[in-house]
Amino acid sequence: MSHSRRALPGLLVVISTIAWIAVACVPPFWGQSAVPPSAKATEDLPAGPRQAKAATACLECHEARIILQQRLSKSAWTKEVDKMTKWGALIDPSDRDALVDYLSTNFGPDQPSYEAPRTSQGKTAPGKVSPGKTTHDKNVVVR
Amino acid sequence: MTSRRNFLKHMSGAMLTAGALPSAWILGSTEGETRSIDVPGEEGMIVRSYRFLDLETPVEYFDTWITPVPHFFVRNHMHEPSELDPENWKLTIGGEVEKSLTLSLTELSKIETHEVVNTLECAGNGRSLYRPQVPGVQWGKGAVSTARFSGPRLRDLLQRGGVKPTGKHVMFRGLDEVPGKVPPFVRSIPVEKALDSDTLIATHMNGAALTKHHGSPARALVPGWIGAASCKWLTEIRVLENEFDGNFMSPGYRFPNQPVKPGDAVKPEDTHVMTALNVKSAISGPSEGAKVNGSKVSIHGTAWAGEADIAKVEVSTDGGTTWGAAKLGHQQAHYAWRLWTYDWKTPKSGEYIVMSRATDSQGRIQPATPEWNPSGYLYNAVDRVKIRVA
Repeated sequence: MSHSRRALPGLLVVISTIAWIAVACVPPFWGQSAVPPSAKATEDLPAGPRQAKAATACLECHEARIILQQRLSKSAWTKEVDKMTKWGALIDPSDRDALVDYLSTNFGPDQPSYEAPRTSQGKTAPGKVSPGKTTHDKNVVVR
Repeated sequence: MTSRRNFLKHMSGAMLTAGALPSAWILGSTEGETRSIDVPGEEGMIVRSYRFLDLETPVEYFDTWITPVPHFFVRNHMHEPSELDPENWKLTIGGEVEKSLTLSLTELSKIETHEVVNTLECAGNGRSLYRPQVPGVQWGKGAVSTARFSGPRLRDLLQRGGVKPTGKHVMFRGLDEVPGKVPPFVRSIPVEKALDSDTLIATHMNGAALTKHHGSPARALVPGWIGAASCKWLTEIRVLENEFDGNFMSPGYRFPNQPVKPGDAVKPEDTHVMTALNVKSAISGPSEGAKVNGSKVSIHGTAWAGEADIAKVEVSTDGGTTWGAAKLGHQQAHYAWRLWTYDWKTPKSGEYIVMSRATDSQGRIQPATPEWNPSGYLYNAVDRVKIRVA
């Protein structure tokens, strides 16, 4: 018993390491290049019984990120769903209320705000500047 | 043992981090490092939407008078044209004109070119700052940028066709691709603005041909007005007797005639179509939450006012109790923003609310609180950042 208890932390290390490597090996393999890690280009809708139907209704025309960033009341979501139905979103009338519930539960006014990713940096990005200074002030501002 | 414990601690931290993130793609992000998406030609931009593409300029990039194209915000209502062949591209001019015209890009390029430095701002810039929040792209402060646009004057094209006295509005149609039954992004401007010598059919931006994200091969450039007036991937100009009747003229892009209680509905007949931009300023540095030290801190930013000029920018470092004048940058043009700086002799350590407030040549001044409206347009409240002095 005491032997197996002593072995447990070691086993955890092995399991953790394997799991970590498995996750890290999903392409692009982070660590092999100097390229910063990338976010997924398009987001997914949150899991739930209405995820598939919401995906069919919404993601044909635009990606999920546009939904993920909204923080709307139920009445505002109802207006959006009705507008999008008019604009061709495939929503069965019997699914409308459940879809509004799904959206207002996941993206209501009290949810924390969505943090948007950025595009990769390039040559023209301003360098890191010390607080209170800019890279261009000296060229632009009358002194 | 100690090293193994540290390793375990490190690994469990990594596992937790991986579990909290939506995708293994972003594994490796360290604290403070932003997840990034590769969009060729767009550098360090905030991704509000990838499909269709909406990119916001981070405020820290507001420190150049001319925004480099890779830092210029992108607003698409629809999908970009999947095929754009400059060889076969045509621009038609019709409607209330004596003679309809069709121009190729080569023919367009032979018409005298004019240049306008213009600050282009999306009408929805700052939408995320309204409370209660309203639907739409949740722009922060950066759906605004400035570029040197060039191309023929719209006036010269219209005069070739000969605008009839019945022609009162000028409609633009682009080649963007409409998903589902979404109404096409078509809008119009009054003929007086269309005939203004600074309204362009722009083919170039900062001296280079327009990129696809910015409307190649040609776009309307309606200076000083909301970005939606400046239709991208232009293919048709039509002179109309009346304002264009379509979703993006009504109910889209309209502002209440009277102040609205936040959260209240507004009847369509109590709104008007938006044209010129508001007076506004933005602090580009120090950034929100920055820790600063030293005996002097340079507070800096930019200010713009659509068709008006910036008269002054004031800065407060005490949450709006007292204000001091900022120095305006010497680079200026009719429709372009002015950069400004304010040297603040740093007082004691602590937290400070730094604010900027612009006043324009029409006497308009940024309000302390924003004018809430149901679509979240034209946010222009006094800008503010909270910083810590060490």
